[in-house]
Amino acid sequence: MRTDGARLADFSSAPENNRRRGFDWPFFLLVLLLLTVGVVMVLSASYPRAYYDPGHVTGGRPAYYFVRQLLFAALGLGALWLASRLPMGFYRRYAFPFLGLTVLLLLLVPFVGVRANGARRWLGIGGLTLQPSELAKLAVILSFAVLICRFRGRMRSFRWGVLPFAGILAVLIGLLVLEPHFSASIILIAIAGAMLFLGGLGLGWFIAAFTAAGTGIGVLLAFFPYASSRIVTWRDPFSTASDEGYQIVQSLYTIGSGGLSGLGLGGSRQKFLYLPEEHNDFIFSVVCEELGFLGAALILLLFALLILRGYWIALHCRDRFSCLVCAGITTLLAIQTFLNVAVVTNLLPCTGISLPFFSYGGTALLIQLGEMGIVLSASRDILV
Amino acid sequence: MPEQTAHSAPNRRMLRRILALMAIFGVAAFVLLILRLYRLQITDHEYYEELALGQQLREAPTVIARGGIYDRKGEPLALSASVENVFLSPAEIDQNGEDRALIAHGLAEILDIDEETVLEKSRQTGSWYVTVKRRVEREEADAVRAFKLEHGLHGVHLEPDSRRYYPNSSLACHVIGFVGTDNTGLEGIEAMYDQALSGTSGRTLRLTNAYGAELLLSRYEDFESGEDGCDLMLTLDTTIQYYVEKHLKQAVADYDIQNGAGAIAMDVNTGAILAMASLDGYDLNNFLAVSPEAQAVIDAAATPEEAEELLRQAQARQWRNKALSDTYEPGSTFKIITLSMALDSGAVTMNDSFYCGGSVRVTGRTSPIRCWKDGGHGSQTLTQAVQHSCNAAFVNIGLRVGAETFYKYCDAFGFLKLTGNPDENLTAKTGIDLAGESGSIWWSENTFYSKKNLSQLAAASFGQTFTITPLQLVTAVSACVNGGTLMQPYVVQRIVAPDGSTRFEHEPTAVRRVISEETSAKVRGILEQVVGDPKDGTGRNAAVAGYRIGGKTGTSEKVSLEAQTGQKQYIVSFIGVAPADAPQIAILVFLDTPSNESGIYISGGQMAAPVVGHMMADILPYLGVEPEREDAAAADVAVPDLSGMTPAEAAAELRKAGLDSRRIGEGERVTAQLPRSGVTIAAGTQIILYYDASPSEESEEMPDLSGLSYSEARELLSRRGLYLQSWSPVSDAGRQIVGGQSIPAGTKVEHGSIVSVALLSADESMLGRY
Repeated sequence: MRTDGARLADFSSAPENNRRRGFDWPFFLLVLLLLTVGVVMVLSASYPRAYYDPGHVTGGRPAYYFVRQLLFAALGLGALWLASRLPMGFYRRYAFPFLGLTVLLLLLVPFVGVRANGARRWLGIGGLTLQPSELAKLAVILSFAVLICRFRGRMRSFRWGVLPFAGILAVLIGLLVLEPHFSASIILIAIAGAMLFLGGLGLGWFIAAFTAAGTGIGVLLAFFPYASSRIVTWRDPFSTASDEGYQIVQSLYTIGSGGLSGLGLGGSRQKFLYLPEEHNDFIFSVVCEELGFLGAALILLLFALLILRGYWIALHCRDRFSCLVCAGITTLLAIQTFLNVAVVTNLLPCTGISLPFFSYGGTALLIQLGEMGIVLSASRDILV
Repeated sequence: MPEQTAHSAPNRRMLRRILALMAIFGVAAFVLLILRLYRLQITDHEYYEELALGQQLREAPTVIARGGIYDRKGEPLALSASVENVFLSPAEIDQNGEDRALIAHGLAEILDIDEETVLEKSRQTGSWYVTVKRRVEREEADAVRAFKLEHGLHGVHLEPDSRRYYPNSSLACHVIGFVGTDNTGLEGIEAMYDQALSGTSGRTLRLTNAYGAELLLSRYEDFESGEDGCDLMLTLDTTIQYYVEKHLKQAVADYDIQNGAGAIAMDVNTGAILAMASLDGYDLNNFLAVSPEAQAVIDAAATPEEAEELLRQAQARQWRNKALSDTYEPGSTFKIITLSMALDSGAVTMNDSFYCGGSVRVTGRTSPIRCWKDGGHGSQTLTQAVQHSCNAAFVNIGLRVGAETFYKYCDAFGFLKLTGNPDENLTAKTGIDLAGESGSIWWSENTFYSKKNLSQLAAASFGQTFTITPLQLVTAVSACVNGGTLMQPYVVQRIVAPDGSTRFEHEPTAVRRVISEETSAKVRGILEQVVGDPKDGTGRNAAVAGYRIGGKTGTSEKVSLEAQTGQKQYIVSFIGVAPADAPQIAILVFLDTPSNESGIYISGGQMAAPVVGHMMADILPYLGVEPEREDAAAADVAVPDLSGMTPAEAAAELRKAGLDSRRIGEGERVTAQLPRSGVTIAAGTQIILYYDASPSEESEEMPDLSGLSYSEARELLSRRGLYLQSWSPVSDAGRQIVGGQSIPAGTKVEHGSIVSVALLSADESMLGRY
């Protein structure tokens, strides 16, 4: 399998004796399976909106979203293949340049970003849009992994174990707040916390952080009515079903009407413009409606298997950096999945988090598949 | 070397912590999510599904055909026609970038509506359904379809609906009634039989998108199939109804009736209503519109509120079925009832005689009750007392019957219902299958039975101091003449299901026997004398040549109105039955408040009797009742065919027939004649004979004949080439005057037209409030 050529071999982190193996097929097949189902669900969920085109986007072409998603899925598989071919040393070497690029792009967003729904979160590149916040998540994983390896043994001290990481995070969060992008900030903090947790940071820091966060949220709710109205909507969405609660109420209708076995693939009624963001953040509601509890649980099971397999790969990594990156990417996937499903089922207050492999969104899909490629790259080095 | 640190294997703590994350994110999180999904999708499934369906399903009643209403011969009175509603979907107009101005202009032109309004509607882009025009006929709908096709419009839609349509517009409007915009019956049969007519409305449940439009691909429709409404076949006869309304309208015009009029024609043997009319009527197809006179008053109103109130009142007035909803003091027509009970109970016999000195004293009254005729009728037989409509005689007859027997018979006739509570006023209804029937009002038993004060009984004997509906009177009089059985009055003969099967058939229902067969026969005989006796009969103006008609006049003063306002107002009425020996039909006509200025003496005999006569003259031949020729048309003769005859031959032929002639033209032989052969006209009329000439094509104006004698009318018409016949027996041509004409004065008519007139006896002996 050493067909990478001499140039790639420069970055190889594998010890001389170990032949690189093929990547982890179970992990790849789970990704492929979820991606396939996800793209099909985009077609099912999106065609009514694409047809009626209330936002004057699609020109009434029912397959508009599907075709684009399909295209990006294909590109994403290419990215996955490429990422899986690149050795882990490549990622380690370019972790910080990548972080620098991300910061640069985030800096650009407030100035040249595309405005939507009162926030600038996207960069437009020739008809494509890119959320630098997606890149930031990967940048945090890679750069933290590099630093954790470098500060090995000193991770329990404030100076090495907290300060540099907090600095990076503060810059990124600061830039995200400018957009503003609340949900990405949350995910970023969560993934950063997970990385530090893996890196061996003392548990006391986490206890302190959770306490501080709890207090912060309490203060926020007490003094900012906007935030507390979100909580009201969360606790009782039906009380504001006509405005703020509309989306979540429609989501509950959608999920609830699926029942045990669902209305059948393509059979959703709620996607006919009742449910907002039905092909996007709320695509899982349509999955629940069409495929029922059984189908939704099966898909969640696939996600769980993928995540467990990701951690399994991390556990079997022979070097610390690969282990951290695999566990980090897997945790990111898990956090995104959990938050998305928790939000659409109103387990958590409503915020915009997409579901990996399912939600419509080209560049995000591309990046997610790239991340899966990195895990697969790491999987080449493991010994089983 | 950083590289080397990275290459070092993960330590145990890191692996432990990965296992912890695995447990949290790989297992615990998903368990939580699946539990949550279970809660939403399994436990609360029905709750959310119902809410979701509530917003997704649009329920639309399926268009089912409302049943038709037909007369007893199958003539349609009310039909449902398929129409279409035109509506816009502004959202689709917006989506497809369609030209609003074009749509507004096109629809405004086709549908004859305001362009600006349509334009305004087309701008409501949030909506998928904005009605443009409801209930559009086929032709307009096709034009809209063509317009839609021509311009490829997606935002213009049509949907089926049904519309009520009344082929005879105002005919029998009060019986038929009408439906509201939602096709629900609001008045008359339409209201009373709404359930049968409307059938079971089916439903279409349709899944829609959030804008109310059909879903794509997945089409879901659930039909609850409805059933079309049943057809109703009424007892009404369109032809009889037409005659009744025609003559009633003429009477309202002739006598300048102030407060409307009504008429009921009933099959005396079954209780079937053959015709029921109430004036003023209205066009069922446009039931909200009021008469031009009423509209003028409304237009003159000072404020919009006042105008609205006036309109509401005018509508309520025109929708009121006076024959059913008005109660009145029947006056002398009620003497038929008093007569029947007196004969049946044995209180009087045919051989009794009654003296009238002009007034009669009654226990409990300070002043005596006066007869309508000053000086009185002297000594009379029972028949004469009825013929004369003698109040004094009837007071005595009533007193002989006695209050309790009187009430028992009134109960049996359906005028009141004895309750056993002697203190409460009494009331009753016939229970006809029409909405809006009022109940009668009678004295309580305690008042009526008082031995110290017989004035209530005395007045009731000639039809005053209680009120009943016209329908109650017709029903009771029918019982008096049909052999003695009170029949349940009804209007709906049959209910026919959509599959053609009969769902309900009304069998004539006898309520009870009220009087004996023999009594009924006697009553028939006496009533015939009231109309048929040209010397003594106060009902003689209702006579129709060749037919045996019985009847009774009525002139009732609105006593309570006079007590309140001092105004003297009358309701004049006549109830006729025919043929008198074996009655088939009873007709009651009542005219509420004739004008003093009409020139005709206000009484039932002068005003209402001829109207019933006119009706009978048209209806009896239609019913196939053969005229008894021997006494028919004493003064009218048939015109022979004279064509091709020489002057001498024609003159001889005409002499034989009792007709005169004059000639026009210079030819040898008759080429044309006016009037044509075969028609019956007044004897002595000049026939116009054309010799090589033809009648003028010009039309003539019908002159006003009222007040002329028969021969004067004949001469006046003959000069114009118009001809006369009478449906009244010409008994005493010198003293009979024309009281009504079949072609109204001022109408343009062809030469040779024949006008029928009624002859009135209007001598001294006939003038009185009886």
